[in-house]
Amino acid sequence: MKDDQLILEMNNISKSFSGVKALDDVSIRCKKGSVHALVGENGAGKSTLIKILSGAQRPDKGTICFKGKNYESFSTREALSVGISVIYQELALVSEMSVVENIFLGREIRRTVGIIDSARMRQEANRLLEQMGIKINVNREVGELSVAYQQMVEISKALSRNADLIVMDEPSAILAGHELEQLFRIIQSLKDNGVTIIYISHRLEEVFRIADEVTVLKDGQHVVTRSMEGLSRAELVSAMVGRKLEEVFPQSLNKAGECVLEAHGISTDTILQKVNLKLHRGEIVGLAGMVGSGRTELARALFGADKLTSGEIKLMGERVEFSSPADAIRKKISLVPEDRKQQGLFTALPIKNNITLPILKKVSRWFLLNRKMESSLVESSKKQLSISMASEHLDVQFLSGGNQQKVVLAKWLHTKPEVIIMDEPTRGVDVGAKFEIYQLMRRLTEEGIAILMISSELPEILGLSDRILVMSEGRIVVELEHAEASEEKIIEYATMGESKAA
Amino acid sequence: MMGYTESNHLTFKKIFAAYGVYLALLILLIVASFITPDLFDEETLAVLFRQSAQLGIIAIGQTMVMLVAGLDLSVGGVIVMTSMVVAEVSNGRDELIPLSILVALILGALIGLGNGLLITKRKVPPLVATLVMLFLVQGAQQAFTRGVPSGFVPETLGIVNQSWGFLSIPLMVWFALNAVFLVLLRMTPFGRRVYAVGSNADAARLSGLSVHRIKIAVYILASCLAVISGVILTGYVGYVDRFIATGLDLDSVAAAVVGGTAFYGGKGGLLGTIAGVLIIQILSTMVVLLGLDAQTQFIIKGLVILAAVSLYGLAQKQA
Repeated sequence: MKDDQLILEMNNISKSFSGVKALDDVSIRCKKGSVHALVGENGAGKSTLIKILSGAQRPDKGTICFKGKNYESFSTREALSVGISVIYQELALVSEMSVVENIFLGREIRRTVGIIDSARMRQEANRLLEQMGIKINVNREVGELSVAYQQMVEISKALSRNADLIVMDEPSAILAGHELEQLFRIIQSLKDNGVTIIYISHRLEEVFRIADEVTVLKDGQHVVTRSMEGLSRAELVSAMVGRKLEEVFPQSLNKAGECVLEAHGISTDTILQKVNLKLHRGEIVGLAGMVGSGRTELARALFGADKLTSGEIKLMGERVEFSSPADAIRKKISLVPEDRKQQGLFTALPIKNNITLPILKKVSRWFLLNRKMESSLVESSKKQLSISMASEHLDVQFLSGGNQQKVVLAKWLHTKPEVIIMDEPTRGVDVGAKFEIYQLMRRLTEEGIAILMISSELPEILGLSDRILVMSEGRIVVELEHAEASEEKIIEYATMGESKAA
Repeated sequence: MMGYTESNHLTFKKIFAAYGVYLALLILLIVASFITPDLFDEETLAVLFRQSAQLGIIAIGQTMVMLVAGLDLSVGGVIVMTSMVVAEVSNGRDELIPLSILVALILGALIGLGNGLLITKRKVPPLVATLVMLFLVQGAQQAFTRGVPSGFVPETLGIVNQSWGFLSIPLMVWFALNAVFLVLLRMTPFGRRVYAVGSNADAARLSGLSVHRIKIAVYILASCLAVISGVILTGYVGYVDRFIATGLDLDSVAAAVVGGTAFYGGKGGLLGTIAGVLIIQILSTMVVLLGLDAQTQFIIKGLVILAAVSLYGLAQKQA
């Protein structure tokens, strides 16, 4: 360490969202001119911490000390003016404007009379870009540049604000392999100029490559901060996952049966690349991976929601083509989507209307809905899934998360599915309902249904899955049997960059 | 468990959303009985109801379009198109009335189809798509008639002026259509799907609904309803006029909004729209009875819509 002076101290930061602790007494200290990596699983609290640092959110408790001055919290404007810049994955650039205009957006250099001094702005922009060792024509529209160059424009923008601390949130997620090298070079030159970097990534090789120090967060708590020197990959992974299995998972009793659903080399223009997959009757297959690894896209492709660009899907050995979810539903496939409120439910419509929507024809006689039939179906769901509701006429929005998820499940169970794809089936669900959903999943597999479960909660994946598939960058990188899987292994494979996976 | 505690709120909101407009109608009638008692003359009522029917029939379509989070500004154009087609095709001959109406319905359905295709397949915003369609229809009419509509409206079509007291044929048609579409929206799979598509198109697709087909069907129905309204209007006026439908398109939106149908789709329905139509027509009539000028009518209309929208917004927040 060349300079042990601290530039940033965030002390005992706590933050809750409607009762759920996102950050619990977390502290982080960054040395000036260093690269400090921030790692943790999905939902560990990384983004909340960054949002507090950038002024987007106020902490409930704790203090921030930046460049020796104490702050309770920042406004976004204050954060920028004291020298903190955040570069998010979604770049905040105006694609129709030129590089110069973007760099100085809102802070244009003016002559005394208030007219914009384009010449000086161009000069300054060129100087900043040169400092990072890159050449871009500053008059080009940002929209014409590659994502990698756009990211560099963002970094120059931060530098032009005299940022002393730049937070990079998953900067590598949008970059290809060779572009990554350039990013590392830029980070190195920033470091040399005394700029401090907080680098968030779930690709551990990168962390080992460029970080001086690392802080691990887990479930909103600080696990460890230490120097990268002498740290092994295994140590870091175990710091990231080291947790006990708190939930009790119902045991798998049955053997997998015949193959129901098969995917051969399916790709989409979203992210999937040549994915192979087999699902058997009576098994739960867990699909693990980081957010953005292509899990949800795989689910959507299997369900006919996204078009395949290559590959084929077979159902009971027969080739099928789904041009829309309606086709998949007809073939007895169901999808419990990740975003319940946006994609799974009609929150402003009554419970009954939600549950019977895919089977309206079945509950109709002569084009008219048969209310008695509908009500009896809803009643049976209520019993089967123990949905607690005052009346079937209640809008779904007034149910708790767990009960809402049960409504989604009820809707699909009435279509008598043979394959159910569940994307984060217990997200935002209380512990009691979680256990009920696990039990239901087991019961369904006993009846011969095949379940593909996507989850970011590793205990859930490990506790329920008969087999586990791990995705990274649009591919399935490994298949693990229940017995051989561990959190460490899953994280290991899920954080593998394309370098290793290839 | 949450459901039980919050259901009280919900019932208040539901009652307000469903019946608030009827309360407003009642208050309006009470006010009218003081300041414009003439409103309740049999003749005035007959005119009021005939006009309400005229507007009400297209408001049925507009309500359905708004339920799928859309908007149809081409209905006025369809009405004018209908009157021209009826006059042109029948050219005054009674026996050709059915044929002329059929032709108008087919053309109307095509316009609705065009609206629906633009909005679903080409993803044109409903406001723009239906406005484009309105211009196209108007342009085609002008090109076809060279600005001077020809043909005659058959005399028999004047049957729509038949009335028994305030019970006129248009009023009965309006009632009948309301009954049919109430059943369609509330008691059939199609109606359920309309609400689902308007409430959350994404979830609707992922639940296996053909969102596009449902939207297109709704726009076709809206255009066909405008044709029916156009036939009645043509029979009433007895001649072809480019301006017979002026204002009806926006009034139908206003009626649906006042009746509690939300712009963002999935909320509202025909019972509210019926009241909305009556409120708008009663206000217009009162303005005339009070001897105020037409500008005042617009201002009052604007204020009523403003009041309705802000009240519904308030009810929404309470929930």
